[in-house]
Amino acid sequence: MSVVIPVGMGELKVARSPETLAVYGIGSCVIVSLYDTKSRVGGIAHIMLPDSSGIDKERLNPNKFADTAIPALYNAIKAEDGVFKANLHAKIVGGSEMFPPTEDFENTIGRDNTVAVKKALKKMGFPIVAEDTGGKRGRSIEFDLETGLVRLSILGEEMREL
Amino acid sequence: MEDVTTLTKIQLDALREVGNIGSGNAASALAQFLNRKIDMAVPSATILEFKDIPALLGGPATQVMGIFLKVLGEISGRFLLLIPEKTAIKLLKTLIPGCEIDNPLNMSELESSCMREVGNILAGAFLNALSTLAQTPMLNSLPSMTYDMAGAMIDSVVADMTAVSDKVLMIETSFIESEEDLRIHIFLLPEPKSLTLLLQKIGVV
Repeated sequence: MSVVIPVGMGELKVARSPETLAVYGIGSCVIVSLYDTKSRVGGIAHIMLPDSSGIDKERLNPNKFADTAIPALYNAIKAEDGVFKANLHAKIVGGSEMFPPTEDFENTIGRDNTVAVKKALKKMGFPIVAEDTGGKRGRSIEFDLETGLVRLSILGEEMREL
Repeated sequence: MEDVTTLTKIQLDALREVGNIGSGNAASALAQFLNRKIDMAVPSATILEFKDIPALLGGPATQVMGIFLKVLGEISGRFLLLIPEKTAIKLLKTLIPGCEIDNPLNMSELESSCMREVGNILAGAFLNALSTLAQTPMLNSLPSMTYDMAGAMIDSVVADMTAVSDKVLMIETSFIESEEDLRIHIFLLPEPKSLTLLLQKIGVV
């Protein structure tokens, strides 16, 4: 079993084969993985919110927001040996609405996060090769840097690979 | 107050007392409802890093039942009840005669509705006590419920409270029915923008 590195809310981590990056209990957050298929280096950003505009720059944690976390993730990965932008692809997971809406409230953060992440990836030119977003269930993933595969678990469902 | 890290010890003590009064009332409501004696753990009011919250519940992948309600009124906030699997099953079997549920993932409409009502009663009792204390009406929204991983629920509930600060104020308490190990965790998260008013109302600005 290779080393498994957990990535918490608002964190960003980079690893390389044969390590595995893992995120457990993903709700409205969106997990973005970037992977270099040649050098087998990859990273994960555990994004909580869509947009950092209006937040005081000095107090900003860039890893929390879609618009700032994706450039930060790319910067962290490209600092590693053997990484080329053209080899990178993205997978995205999460953005669910855990609590069904009632008459009094509706929670759109999951949806907003997903839209913002896609926009930010497009802006940077990273193709999204796999996606499992939306719905009402929580998710956990393990991102295996050796193969680039993302193992996805959802309560009450069979494990899948993305 | 957008930054909870500036709260003083006296203010935190007062907020803990808010938790005490609210959960005391909720505990008696639950005791009446179940017709049993319910003990209450000493509540805490703490400023936590949001990423440390799932660890309090046994890790982000721990399966729990979550009931979420909004606190509506001049002072607004969020109310989250987390009920471990064993307790959820026990509550359902106690409240619904003939109920044979063994996995909360397979709840029937009646069973879901029953658990939402438990949430409604507990939140209502908690906020009722708080309204009296703060002299301003605080009502709860209709409850929304799910059974899933604790981490997934918490990120959904706290995400937009963490835009500025990595920390949230959480008033937490647990109910324990000692003989049968019945456990319910209550979390009250005041909206950062209502916190100043809440502190004013309880006299610790």
